[in-house]
Amino acid sequence: MNDYNQQTRREFFNWGMNGLGATALATLLSRESTLAASKDSKLQPKARRAIHICLVGGMSHVDSFDYKSELKKFHGKSLQTDEQPDLFFGKMGLLRQQDWEFKPRGQSGLMISDMFPRIAELADDLTILRSMESKSANHTPALFLANSGFEFNGFPSMGSWISYGMGLENESLPAYVVLNDERGAPNTGASTWSSSFLPSNHQGVVFRGGSQPVRDLFPARKVDSQRDAATREFIQAINEQHVNQTGIESALNARLKSYELAARMQTSIPEVSSFAEETEQTQSEYGINEVQTADMGRRCLLGRRLLEQGVRFVQLFSGGPVAGSPRASWDAHENVKENHTIEAGRIDKPVAALLKDLKQRGLLEETLVLFTTEFGRTPFAQSDADKVGPGRDHNRYGFSSWMAGAGLKPGFAFGNTDEVGWKAVGRLIPWHDFHATILHLFGIDHEQLTFYHNGIQRRLTNVHGDVVKEVLA
Amino acid sequence: MLLSNLEQVRNRAATIMMTTSHPPSEVTHISGDFVLRNRIIQNLGWISLCIGILSSFPICEYAAASQKIDFEKQIAPLFVSHCLECHNAVEPEGGLTLTEAKLAFTGGESGKAILAGDSEGSLLWERVQADEMPPKHPLSDDEKRILKAWIEQGAEWPAGVIDPLGKSTATRAGRDFWSLQPLREVNPPEDIQPEWSRNAIDPFILKRLRHSGLTPSPEANARTLIRRLYFDLIGLPPTPEQVAAFIADHSEEAYQQIVTKLLDSSHYGERWGRHWLDVVRFGESDGFERNFQRENAWHYRDWVINSLNADIHYDEFVRRQLIGDLEQRGIEGAASTGFWVAGVHNTVVGGSERMKLLARHDEIEEVLATVGQTFLGLTINCARCHDHKFDPVTQKEYYQFASAISGLGYGERFESIPDERKILAEIERKLAVVKSELSQIDEMTRLEILKERETNHDFIPVTPAPYARWEFDGNLLDSVGSLDGEAVGQVQFEEGALVLDGSSYVKTESFSQNISEKTLEVWVQLASLDQRGGGAISIEKRDGSLFDAIVYGEQQPGHWLAGSNNFARTDSFGGTQETEAVNRIVHVAIVYQEDGTIIGYRDGLPYGQPVKKSPIQKYAAEDTEILFGLRHNPPGGNRFLKGKIHRAAFYDRALTAEEVAASSGKAMDYVSETQIVDWLNDKQNKNRNQLKFRISELTRDREQQLTVTNQKMYTLTPRKGEVTKVYLRGDPANEGEVVAPAATEAIPGLSGSFGLPPDAPEAERRRKLAEWITDPANPLFARVIVNRVWHYHFGTGIVDTPNDFGFNGGRPSHPELLEYLAIQFQQNEYRLKWLHRLIVTSSTYRQATYGKSLTEWEQAKKIDAGNRLLWRGNSRRVEAEILRDAILAVSGKLTAEQGGPSFKDVSVTLNSGTTYYEPIDIDGPEFWRRTIYRFNPRGGRSALLDTFDCPDPSATAPRRTVTTTPLQSLSLMNNVFVLRMADYFAERVESEAGENVEAQVEHAWQLAVSREPNSRELELSKQLVNNHGLSALCRGLFNLNEFVRID
Repeated sequence: MNDYNQQTRREFFNWGMNGLGATALATLLSRESTLAASKDSKLQPKARRAIHICLVGGMSHVDSFDYKSELKKFHGKSLQTDEQPDLFFGKMGLLRQQDWEFKPRGQSGLMISDMFPRIAELADDLTILRSMESKSANHTPALFLANSGFEFNGFPSMGSWISYGMGLENESLPAYVVLNDERGAPNTGASTWSSSFLPSNHQGVVFRGGSQPVRDLFPARKVDSQRDAATREFIQAINEQHVNQTGIESALNARLKSYELAARMQTSIPEVSSFAEETEQTQSEYGINEVQTADMGRRCLLGRRLLEQGVRFVQLFSGGPVAGSPRASWDAHENVKENHTIEAGRIDKPVAALLKDLKQRGLLEETLVLFTTEFGRTPFAQSDADKVGPGRDHNRYGFSSWMAGAGLKPGFAFGNTDEVGWKAVGRLIPWHDFHATILHLFGIDHEQLTFYHNGIQRRLTNVHGDVVKEVLA
Repeated sequence: MLLSNLEQVRNRAATIMMTTSHPPSEVTHISGDFVLRNRIIQNLGWISLCIGILSSFPICEYAAASQKIDFEKQIAPLFVSHCLECHNAVEPEGGLTLTEAKLAFTGGESGKAILAGDSEGSLLWERVQADEMPPKHPLSDDEKRILKAWIEQGAEWPAGVIDPLGKSTATRAGRDFWSLQPLREVNPPEDIQPEWSRNAIDPFILKRLRHSGLTPSPEANARTLIRRLYFDLIGLPPTPEQVAAFIADHSEEAYQQIVTKLLDSSHYGERWGRHWLDVVRFGESDGFERNFQRENAWHYRDWVINSLNADIHYDEFVRRQLIGDLEQRGIEGAASTGFWVAGVHNTVVGGSERMKLLARHDEIEEVLATVGQTFLGLTINCARCHDHKFDPVTQKEYYQFASAISGLGYGERFESIPDERKILAEIERKLAVVKSELSQIDEMTRLEILKERETNHDFIPVTPAPYARWEFDGNLLDSVGSLDGEAVGQVQFEEGALVLDGSSYVKTESFSQNISEKTLEVWVQLASLDQRGGGAISIEKRDGSLFDAIVYGEQQPGHWLAGSNNFARTDSFGGTQETEAVNRIVHVAIVYQEDGTIIGYRDGLPYGQPVKKSPIQKYAAEDTEILFGLRHNPPGGNRFLKGKIHRAAFYDRALTAEEVAASSGKAMDYVSETQIVDWLNDKQNKNRNQLKFRISELTRDREQQLTVTNQKMYTLTPRKGEVTKVYLRGDPANEGEVVAPAATEAIPGLSGSFGLPPDAPEAERRRKLAEWITDPANPLFARVIVNRVWHYHFGTGIVDTPNDFGFNGGRPSHPELLEYLAIQFQQNEYRLKWLHRLIVTSSTYRQATYGKSLTEWEQAKKIDAGNRLLWRGNSRRVEAEILRDAILAVSGKLTAEQGGPSFKDVSVTLNSGTTYYEPIDIDGPEFWRRTIYRFNPRGGRSALLDTFDCPDPSATAPRRTVTTTPLQSLSLMNNVFVLRMADYFAERVESEAGENVEAQVEHAWQLAVSREPNSRELELSKQLVNNHGLSALCRGLFNLNEFVRID
């Protein structure tokens, strides 16, 4: 019995490995779990796909999703601590009150500030995590950690793991698509969406605008279309003959199929990238016609179209490189009010439109929307010890993210920070727990989704990870 | 009974396989689904081996509970496997320690754990029975039965402490693990088919095939063999002529000659160097946030290629990568140790001390991982936070290794090329002769002038005006400006001098303006002449990270120096040894000119020769101060001066020699060049001018030669070794014991001790580490490399995890063969080319890929679809780089140039301090070099290489994954490089084959896939050429299975 199952599993693996075929590893894993008889057999997949809005630079949680009434009271007071926390610039000023008004929102009454007026209107669809914590207060390690569970280059990102675990739903589109901010890719560039030691078909594929949305989709120089087609036919004819001669090597069959799919991609990618089918109203709801929101609006709309077509994981970055002046990310060391007003202004409307659109189309039930940031910002100002400056430094000890959609408790906030929002308290949510929860929603046991690399069965969650059960519906 | 035992073993093996089997990437290119079952067979093989050799192997001992339980053989392994990770003596969970009888019977926080004879009353049994312990992974029924029976039989526990790392169990490796045992002499099996076997490899393979009911495939045809050899050994296709010649004469002798020729080819190093660079994850940028370029890292790449071409013995090859800088001076030694810094390096580590420590230790762990896995297949990096969970490496041993490499430093070094150095020396010799001639003339003239001056009293020197001056007349005030001083520590004044006791110093207010050109001046008396490193006067950035100072005796005892941060601008002036400053006040001044020249003066006269090493250091207003008595901040070490400072001054400009002389009060003794020129007659001046011209010429030559002689390279720049402490749970805030640099005791018969103290010099630590790694008694060293070589020749290693010979790694498919190759390799002086020759001349290697009848094939596939046992040749997709190289070669564009700086087919953009790399469309001979010479930054990828599974150099790639995806096909069809090369290929074919289409087609096929097209292929090709041109055919040929796969 074992042999049968394992051989089947191997075949599935092999097929998925070649990047072709749509076998979901999750099914196999759950079968294996039953075999091992020690796993949670109740693991039911809720999500089929996810869209991840990844804020680069660190969003201030105390100004957005984590309301602290005490912070107003203590404005201008010292935090009075002897510890020397991991700050990036090491300047610990006095406590600073919120720069935005908070209000209870919707039926749920979740407290959300005016930084995101439109997202706030959808409070009843959000599941807010208020006790996130990170191991690093340094941009690149923190961004790596949020994406791959490790602080270094060289580990597969969450999107790659999900692609590896879930397989392809649509063979003529990549499983994992990345949409960068028009101001530039995050500092870590392609390392952020790397599949690392996972097979390269699980790597994030960057979609860009223009006539060549994906690298090498069409000939780099103009090639007559008849000539292009004739060349392709020639290749297929000769390769087919070669397969027939040798007859047996599955890798050769896979090559034949890959050329068929390549041809299909040349149609499907331009199709999915075009907004011709989208109504004027939809486009304007996403903010495509306004300067401030055009970039994110286009990407959110493209994101929805990709999800509709069966892409597993779409990742949108909000923010380019972290350094520089003026800031092109959420890294508000100098002035939170100024910086976050601009950054939130770029994404609030498009993200809200995306959520509404997904819901209205019935996609949200099987889609996860993730809204995360590298870390939060300090409740005290980044200034001299006796001053209340307008900026805030990195805060790895406590911050907020939110999720929405498949399998989650909507209109719900979980976790707490201390009275001023400095450190998460009680049930902390490190990234490993966040990742474990995402995988769980995909029906994958995070301890079972492994890949052998250099002595270790590697996991997205390293050797950690507890599902945050409290947020599950 | 026997049967049921075997059944248990089998089930057990299946479970082991379930938890340790490797995911698919490890076997992708092996087509079948059989690999997994094959692994079961291997595991069974391994286990039956254990029955024979390691009789204590626990799974063989799960017997009926009624039998007498043997603690050593049944209970101890059970504790090791399931309990001791938490219940050990170091940090016992719940206070319960299960490593020795006394502690175990004492119990833990919840009370007594074991009541002898009473299982129901024993807390241990209660928790185990309820599946509460071990958490998440309860014991099997068998294990429970044994445990219960043991307690009931009286819980006998012999004296002594359980050594958790001594013996292998079902869940982890002990020191008795197969890969750690000494190399064994093995003889090839008796040859059962002498007509097939060509060398010692074949009987080993044959025996295993026979054992599984398989037979080898017939030999591949000449065309396949020559393509296989070319791609395998040099990574380039053979020319049609080479193929034709071998087809005409494919005798054994001809085959051997090809092997010799390829191993002698300089392309061999390029091919196999690429494999090595994969393993050591060589990249040409820092990674992380800034990802700066490393434009001078290629020296290591070239060193690897050249060393492989020279067939440096492998132990020497490794030794030089570890300690080459200690053994070979100059460029070669420095290039070889580029190994240490081939990986990523974070240059943004954050503000707090903890963040810096963590970043440093992350770096050390990453490098230790590479060292352990590359040379020994040992994942020592897994023991940073706790003892290794699967292999016998302790956490303490991890920190011993960390101590051994704690001098790891990233940076650039200047190294000189020996031949160029000779030329430089010759220029310098000539320069010295001319300079000495000039000095003689000037000195004679000077004496004449001084003699005349004695009788002439009109001479009045003018002293320059300082920016700040301190008289130290009982206070620290600046007598001309606002740079008043402030004492730190005990300072006193004595007869108008500041007295420094060797622990005190003075700092001043900040400068209110930026400072570039400058002069430091001091009248100083030393408390002793043998002191080393004190600063008399310094200008520094307030945090001490930048400074320029008058320093006594630091780099060179008894001499004055222009001290600077990390000796950035410091070089010996070559002035006279100080002998007087202890008895009297000496005047010392250092002038910093805008062009970076630094001139020293003592008592108003030039002190040795000016130095010029780096550009001038500029200092920012508000963040710059003057120090007296301290070389730079922070205070400590040898930075304090002991003595008296009578007077000091600072000038915000570079004083002239005349001015320094005047200020020193030695103006009367100073003769300027103008005065000399005025003194001499025309003829004398003409002679003097010629000398001066010659000096300027030679100086220019010298500068030019210097840039040729001294090469900048990114390599190991060792720093002082640290005293390393264990970090409990890997947390720097949680320090444990101090450890000495050492290795592990995991290998029986090889001591891990280095005999060094915790504060041993950096070089000693590294030297001992290199000795330990390459020790002939270290069996992993030879096993790992012969397996690596085997892996690249056959697509899968004898152990299919080339970087991991531990518990989680694979087990050898041919253990005896691995032993044989390892020991033979050792006995043949670790020569890699010897090993290649042995492998590629075997019959095993020469088998056809598709040589069996379909029936035979189907049968063999049922037994071993993955071809682990090598009943046929493997078909393999070529690597991304080899694909690009082959395209270049076939198109006739591959340039012969080897080595040197990398060519860049990416744009390098700096955006806000971060470096971005984007592929660019670029063409020309400098980009037609082999791909190993391509600039290879982290995250800077071309679509073609990317989709063909070229790994990002951020992580080691001991074996590459192989995928087949639509994006890959798109790249090979549409990438600009491919399209352009298709045009060049067409041009070549046209010029070589002429106008006739049929001749063109045949030649193109010969070039691309080393054969002529069959009739259908010819027809289709002609059709394509006639309708769409030759370039369309060439593009098509690049996309053929036979072009991207080698049988």
